[in-house]
Formats: sequence, structure tokens, C-alpha cells
Amino acid sequence: MKKKLFSVVLIITLVASLLAGCKTKDNNPSSTSDTKTDVSQTEKTEEKEPEPPKPITISLGLPGGYDVTNEEIIKGFQDAYPHITLDIDEAPWGDFTKKIMTQIAGGNAPDVWFQENAAVIGYGAKGAAEDLKPFIDRDLNIDEYVVSTLLSAEVNGKVFGVPHGGNPIALAYNKKLFDEANVPYPTDDWTYEDMIEAAKLLTRDTDGDGKTDVWGFLVGGGITDGWFPWIKSAGGQALDETKTQAVFNDEKSLKGITEWVNMIHTYKVSPTLSAMREMQGARQMFGNGLGAMMFLQYSLGETVLNKNYPDLDYDTVKIPLGFDGGRTVPNVGNTWLIFSKAKPENKEAAWTFLKYYLSADVQKTVASSGSTIPVNKEALTYVESLSFKPLNKKAYTEGIAEGGVTLDENKCWNEWRTAAQPIFNEILEAKVDPAEGLDYIQKEVQKVLDEHYK
Amino acid sequence: MRKSNFWGLLFVSPFILGCLVFFVFPVGFSAYISLTKWDMFNPPQFIGLKNWVNALKDPVFWIAFRNVFYFALIFVPIQTILALIIAYLLNQKIRFKGLYRVIYFLPVVTPWVAGATIWKFIYRYENGLLNYFLRLIGLNGSYWFDSEKWWVAIGSLAIMNVWKGLGQSMVMFLAGLQNVPSDVIEAAEIDGANRHQIFRKIVVPIISPMVFLVMIMSTISAFTAFDVFLTMFDIFSLPVRNSIVNLMVYREAFLYGKMGPASAMAWILFIIILVITMLQKQFEKRWVHYDS
Repeated sequence: MKKKLFSVVLIITLVASLLAGCKTKDNNPSSTSDTKTDVSQTEKTEEKEPEPPKPITISLGLPGGYDVTNEEIIKGFQDAYPHITLDIDEAPWGDFTKKIMTQIAGGNAPDVWFQENAAVIGYGAKGAAEDLKPFIDRDLNIDEYVVSTLLSAEVNGKVFGVPHGGNPIALAYNKKLFDEANVPYPTDDWTYEDMIEAAKLLTRDTDGDGKTDVWGFLVGGGITDGWFPWIKSAGGQALDETKTQAVFNDEKSLKGITEWVNMIHTYKVSPTLSAMREMQGARQMFGNGLGAMMFLQYSLGETVLNKNYPDLDYDTVKIPLGFDGGRTVPNVGNTWLIFSKAKPENKEAAWTFLKYYLSADVQKTVASSGSTIPVNKEALTYVESLSFKPLNKKAYTEGIAEGGVTLDENKCWNEWRTAAQPIFNEILEAKVDPAEGLDYIQKEVQKVLDEHYK
Repeated sequence: MRKSNFWGLLFVSPFILGCLVFFVFPVGFSAYISLTKWDMFNPPQFIGLKNWVNALKDPVFWIAFRNVFYFALIFVPIQTILALIIAYLLNQKIRFKGLYRVIYFLPVVTPWVAGATIWKFIYRYENGLLNYFLRLIGLNGSYWFDSEKWWVAIGSLAIMNVWKGLGQSMVMFLAGLQNVPSDVIEAAEIDGANRHQIFRKIVVPIISPMVFLVMIMSTISAFTAFDVFLTMFDIFSLPVRNSIVNLMVYREAFLYGKMGPASAMAWILFIIILVITMLQKQFEKRWVHYDS
């Protein structure tokens, strides 16, 4: 009887271990949600050493090369996963984004690469980007990440990529100019009204020639630091929640855009766009002490201001509270994606790379570069301890947590944004009335959206 | 097949193959793609002439054509006349002739991005070189490539394109000028013709085939100009008034991944260039003199 019982237990254990073995070989991540348990069972039942993983080579696309992605991360991955060889496909950003289209068309795109989040969403809509939701569900503890950033490429429950890093905005201010004008430094409690009032005090004609020499605020003309946060400041929207309907012409958007234009033409606290272009742009003006405040994207602090103006005494606070009392922090990012036509084993190896990239230690390396805000919460805390300017990095990290939003990215983002931007330029240059301009933008953007969604 | 034919075909086959793969197929494929909806990833869907009709009905497309015509109208005559004059002067017995030729040819080999940086400096409103000189003589200065007036913006880019292409045309004219027999010039001088008369009545007719060639090449280059616009304009915030066909083709194809509309526009542009070139060819007999 004992012998029989022993045989039954042995058979059950054997069958269970075989089933577990089958499961771990399955390439479909959605069917392996309990991989960890299976692996531990296998380990208990089989005392054999696990087979060394098969060597595999995957191609990794790096737009901007090691200027954008820290080489240390790539080397670290090769050391940690010697069986996965990375075949690096690097090119300057513009060249990479041009050639990737033809590579996708030819079916020979890299197994994994990163690009602008909007482009990745577009690839997802075409079917070129793998849905990473099953991988995320299987392997990541979502509580360890800033969810709004981690899932910035999510569309209808599918996640077409994971972040390379976030790049939010905050309000940057020049301490010296505030001191000279005897204006108290901004705080996280500031509202847009406070910012405008301070800008008026900071705008000065220092040499008495009747021309403004120091501007209180440097208005951005683009989407991230320009019209988008201003629309949001009054509770307005560019697109609705479905991202298929334009809502540029509502009253709130008009209020935000009117204030944006007023900064130049009514309050006269900011130079015109063309004047800023003459001076090589807002960042250079800020760096040269010609502007007291501006909306500053995180990456530009370390890569532009600190690099070109090491003596500039500046810091940041959170984007002010809007006219409606809410805070909105536009956060743009680049996103890693896995090519849908990659071989299953390459997808798995590519995901191994992405898991590695998202791990806390690697995310700290990402953070050290100062070019991007990591998505891992542990690394986010680490960012706050970094010693380069701006010292108050909480303006970004807490800003995202409090009001982080994407730029209403959808599969035709590039197209509708390009349709809207020239008209926003004309509005900001006071060539077009804001209400009239927003109506026109509404029509043009809706035309693009209809083409894609109807 | 005769043996000699076989070997002949074998030897030219690399060229024929290259031509088929890199010219005939892409041309045919783009014609097909212009009749489809294709995102470069999923299979093309045949939609007939929809892309062509949409392009022809799009007012922005016609604004873009107006701009290209205007660009060509400024670029072609200025470039041809200037190149001819410079080539004629550099064909005289002057000192440092080689150095001058190199200087005039330099822009041809200068990358567009570098050229654009210089021209942006020249065209700036506040601190630009051009406005600096204009203000010296009491004028106000103007916005140029970033002007609100489309004809100023496109015109200033046409001038910039002349700077870039002048050297190429000059070299072609210099080659043509080598064919002007010196005895004819000497005979004209003995007969009392002055330099201006020699240039107009003798040199220009003799090199008229080259002038015709330069005009054809310049016209094609004007209609296919791309880099000058890409480097000087911001493609993401280009006002409708400054639209350019080639930028539209590029944007549709490589920024939006809409190959069908891009191919249709490119084909319409091709047809227009073809018609203009044929028109130029029609007028050729009236003023171009060949030896025969």
C-alpha cells in the first residue's frame, strides 16, 4: 500500500513538474501570469541545475545614440545578461526617425527601440508595436512606478510601449533678477495670477532708454511650454477624453489662450516670438539673464542651462495653480516599443531589456544624466537628491504626481499638432484674434481627427 | 540569339538590373501607391483616384504650387543670367581666375544646414546683415524668410537658392565658353565690335545650347527644391501661405506615414515639370543655335 501511495505521489509530482516546464517555455506572456510560482515548483520538484539560457541576439535602436541613452546602461545589461547580445542600431535622432519608417515598411525594424510617445501610439494603431500589457501584468509591480507616465502609451487597454523617461515642465526663475527687483521667489502655491503680477514687477528698463531690457516672463510658443499649459490653466482642453474630438473653441480654452497672448501684447511682460528668435530663443534669453521666469522642460536644465550657463543662479517650483485652481503639468516623453514582427524569442529578450531598464538601479542611472525623469518611484526619490541645478527637483517629480498629463497624444498627434501650430503662432503674434484663431484650429484639427477616426 | 548579342546583354545586365530595380520599379510602384491607402506597414488598399482628387481639390496644394511657380520665376532667370555673366568674366584673361572660380563654386559643396545658418544670420530682422546695410542707407529693413508676406518669404529663399546653385551653372557655362572659337571673336574685334556686342551677338548665340540646358536644369531644380525649404522653414509650424509641394510630400510620407497622398502629389508635380520642360523644348528652336 505504501509503495502504491508513493508511486501515485511520484507520478503526480512528475506530471506537475512537466506541466510547469511546458508553461515556462510558452512565449505568450499572457498565459504565464503565474510563472514565478511555476518556477519555484519546478525548483522544488526537480533538483537539477536550470539549463543555461540560449544565446540570442536582438537589435536595439538608439536614436541619438549614447547622447540620449546612457552607455553605462547598455554595458550594464550586457554584463547582467551575457546570453543576450545587443546589436546596436544608432543614428542621429532625425536620421533614425526617417529611416525607421522604411525599416518598418520592410519588416526589418530593430526588435526594440524608442521614439516620441505619439509616434509609438501611431505605430500601435498600425499594428507595428507589440502590446506590452501582458508583459507588464506578468512581470511588473505597477505600484513601483508613476502610473500616468508608465502607461502613457496606453490606448484602449493596450500598452504599446514603456517610458524611456519623462520630461515635464516646471516654472524656472532667475534668483538674481528676483533679488534685484525685490520680488519674493515663487512658491508651489503660486497661481497663474501671482505669476503674471510678479512678471509685471520683474519687467524692467534697466538703462532708461525706453526699451525693456529684462522681461518678467518668457512665453513659449510651442505646445509643451506654450499653448497647451495655458489652455489647461483655465481648465480648457485640446481634445476630449476620447482623443477623437477637438475642443479648442470652448470658453475655458479661450480664456487660457487670451492670457497667453496678453503676456506679450497686453501686460507686455514677455518679448514677442520674433524678438525671442532674434535672441536665439527663450532658453538663451533666460540663460543670459534677460528673462526672469519661463516654463522649463526638465531635460533643458542640465543639457542647456547648466552646460551653457554654469553660473546662472536659478531654481524651479511647480507649474502654478491654474485660473480654475487645478494644476496641470504637461509631461512629454520618449517610449520604448517592441516591434510586432520580431520573433517571439526576440520579443521576450527585448522585454528582458526593458525590465532591466525599468529596474530601480538602472532608473537611477537614467536619472543621473539629468536628461529625463525616471518612471520608477524609488529612482524618483533619488532624483531629488541629485546636486545639479535646479535644486528643487520636486517641482518636477511632485508636479507629475500631482498634475502630470500627456499632450493629448493619439495616433495622429503629429498631424493635428502640425495643423494647429501655425495658427497658434499667428495668435501669439497678434495677427489673428484668439477666438477666431481657435475656431479655425478647431475646424482644422477636427478635419484631421475625422480622417483618422471616422 | 546571336552569340555577340548574348555577351553584349550579359555585360550590360548589371546596368539594366540596376535600372529596373532602382528606377523602373520605384516609379511604377509609386504610381500604384498613389492609387492606394498605404501606411507602410499594412498591405495597401486600392482606393482609385481618391488621392489625386483630394490633392487637386485641396486649396493648400494649389497655394503650394503658386509658391513653387513663384520660386522658379525668380530663381531660374536670376541664376541663369548671373551664372552666364560670371562665367563670361571668369573666362577672360584676369589674375587669380582659378581662385575666383573656386570661391563661386564653394556654395555648391557647402552643406545646406551650414548655408541655412549663414542665411538666417543675413536675413534676421533685428541684427541681420541685410537689414544692417538697409538701415545704413536709411531704410527700415524688413522681415525676409519669416515675413508675413508669402512673396517676400519665398522670394528670399529663391535668392538663397541662387547663391547655392550659381557655381554649378557657372561651370556649365565655362565649359560652353571653351567652344567659342577665338578666331571668330578676333574677327569681330577687327570689325570694330565692342565687348558688349561680342557677348550679345556672338558668345550668347554660340553657347545658346548650354544656356538652354542650364535653364532646363534650373527649372527642374526649382520645382524639386527641398533642402532650402526644409532648413529655413519649420516644417511643424509652417503657415499655409508658405506651403511648398515637396514639403507637403515629405510631411505626408515620412511624418504622417500616408504614402498614397504623398505619391499622388509627387506624380502631379512630375506631370507639371514634364509639361513645363516640353514647353521650353517647344521654344528651343526659336533661339537655340546648334552647329548643324
